[in-house]
Amino acid sequence: MGMLMVAPAVIITAALVVYPLIKGFQTSLESADTAVGGQPRFVGLGNYGDVLRSSTARDAIVHTVIYVALAVTFELMLGLIVAVALHRAFRGRGIVLAILLVPWALPSVVSGVLWRRVFDPDSGLLNSMLQQLHLVSHPHVWMASRGWALVLIALVHVWGVLPLVSLILIAGLQSIPEEVYSASAVDGATPLRQFRHITLPLLRPSIAVALTIGTVWAIKIFDEIYVLNGTALNTRSILMEVYNTTFVNADFPHGTALALLLTAVTALLAAGYAVAFGRSTT
Amino acid sequence: MIRFPAAQLLRIVAIAAILLWSLAPIGLGVITSLSTQTDVQAVPARWLPHHATLDAYRSLLGGSGDFRAGGTVSESGAFTHALWNSASIMMLSTLAILCVAISAGYAFARLRFPGRGALFWAIVATTVVPVFTVVIALFGFLADAHLIDRKLGLVLVFVSTTTPLAMWLVHNHVKQLPTEPEEAALLDGCTRWQAFWHVALPQMRSGIAALSAIIVLLVWGEFLIPLLLTSTNASKPVTVFIPEYIGKYTTNYPLLAAAGVLAMLPPTVVALVLNRHIRGMLSGSS
Repeated sequence: MGMLMVAPAVIITAALVVYPLIKGFQTSLESADTAVGGQPRFVGLGNYGDVLRSSTARDAIVHTVIYVALAVTFELMLGLIVAVALHRAFRGRGIVLAILLVPWALPSVVSGVLWRRVFDPDSGLLNSMLQQLHLVSHPHVWMASRGWALVLIALVHVWGVLPLVSLILIAGLQSIPEEVYSASAVDGATPLRQFRHITLPLLRPSIAVALTIGTVWAIKIFDEIYVLNGTALNTRSILMEVYNTTFVNADFPHGTALALLLTAVTALLAAGYAVAFGRSTT
Repeated sequence: MIRFPAAQLLRIVAIAAILLWSLAPIGLGVITSLSTQTDVQAVPARWLPHHATLDAYRSLLGGSGDFRAGGTVSESGAFTHALWNSASIMMLSTLAILCVAISAGYAFARLRFPGRGALFWAIVATTVVPVFTVVIALFGFLADAHLIDRKLGLVLVFVSTTTPLAMWLVHNHVKQLPTEPEEAALLDGCTRWQAFWHVALPQMRSGIAALSAIIVLLVWGEFLIPLLLTSTNASKPVTVFIPEYIGKYTTNYPLLAAAGVLAMLPPTVVALVLNRHIRGMLSGSS
């Protein structure tokens, strides 16, 4: 009966995930210029080399690394603050936790739409506020400069993912027995020292999970960029470069090659975190 | 821990900041949706509209042809149809994913059969593959099967890309449940299937509620897959529809915000009603 019950899942995964991946790998080894109806030519790893040499793909890789670094840093720092503030019982905690979850539940396209008006150069609220405070003299086109655009897009992404990271860290804090704190308090440890020497080390497994999830979500960032700045070159992520290569330029071999590189890096990072923190994520 | 009044105050400030951070963008979206284009374009920015109006919603749902959204005319009934597309795709996908994932997740957690470990880890491993990679590879197959720009094609892709994660979550949930009730049922002469159907399934109720909510949120919010696989209003879900209201030079923010507010209503309700279950599953196992 076990075999029968897992059969649908196994067949679906094999036929619609694993088989396409193998086909995709095959496509990534063929030449791109088959539009004239000729047989695809085997070019080995040539497409991978092309992709890594292309300047737009290189920029996209740099942008994605920045998105991931910014997102994971913000998520862990803010997530720890949220978790410390919310992990103990207080009146109204249920409502606060329910509200905390909402940004995660919203489609990321909608998050982008909500924040778009804030960053709009002409009618945006950010420019207006800065001008009223006399911090800037003329409206700033936030999405035109690369530095600001990357930071602000990462911020919108963090808005959606922070709830998930916070929940993981809250669960981690709750699993630390209260006695550890009272014992160390008797020994004269200050709250700050307790946080550094007790909370952080005991929280390592939860931090590993949060880090993995934060990275895996940020590395495939697309929706927020699309809504806030379209497919513009100054904010393009790897996935967006894949989208552009594959579907706008109709170049499947190069697009698939880049997508598979991204897949490999994601898998390696996930495995790396699991090993580094000495505990599997399950 | 010793209670410091300062620490207490710090915590209240932090909680207020968390609420503001979570709610302010949503509140801003609602306010924008009730404004007029004149309110939105005022310099210096006007936070609240002069007169709150439902015009944006009216033109979105009623579809007056003259309401221009930065070059895009909101066609009569098009947005309502997009909402219906999202809802029907979400319901079909969720139902299919639940059936496949619950049966497999349960079997991997409880039953013994050859190849169990290897098959399980092979399926779980596919969760790190970005969905996009799979979709590119599936594109040719879907085109051959005439499933591009069809809701059925989207459902198929959602089932194939979400089942591994859902199955993993079910597996972890079942592992946490006590085995005694099922063992007792087996001793009393139940078949393995009866023990699953009459004993284990009812035990899994809260896990299934959480899982359904998570799948609904994932499918409803997905943007990239339908962006690639749909091309006409017949199959476009709201997430693909909304960015089309963004104009190249100026954007009709009230209309865009109204579309956003309507698209976030279902997920917000799901998140608030089932939040205890969702939180349990998210912090426990993924």
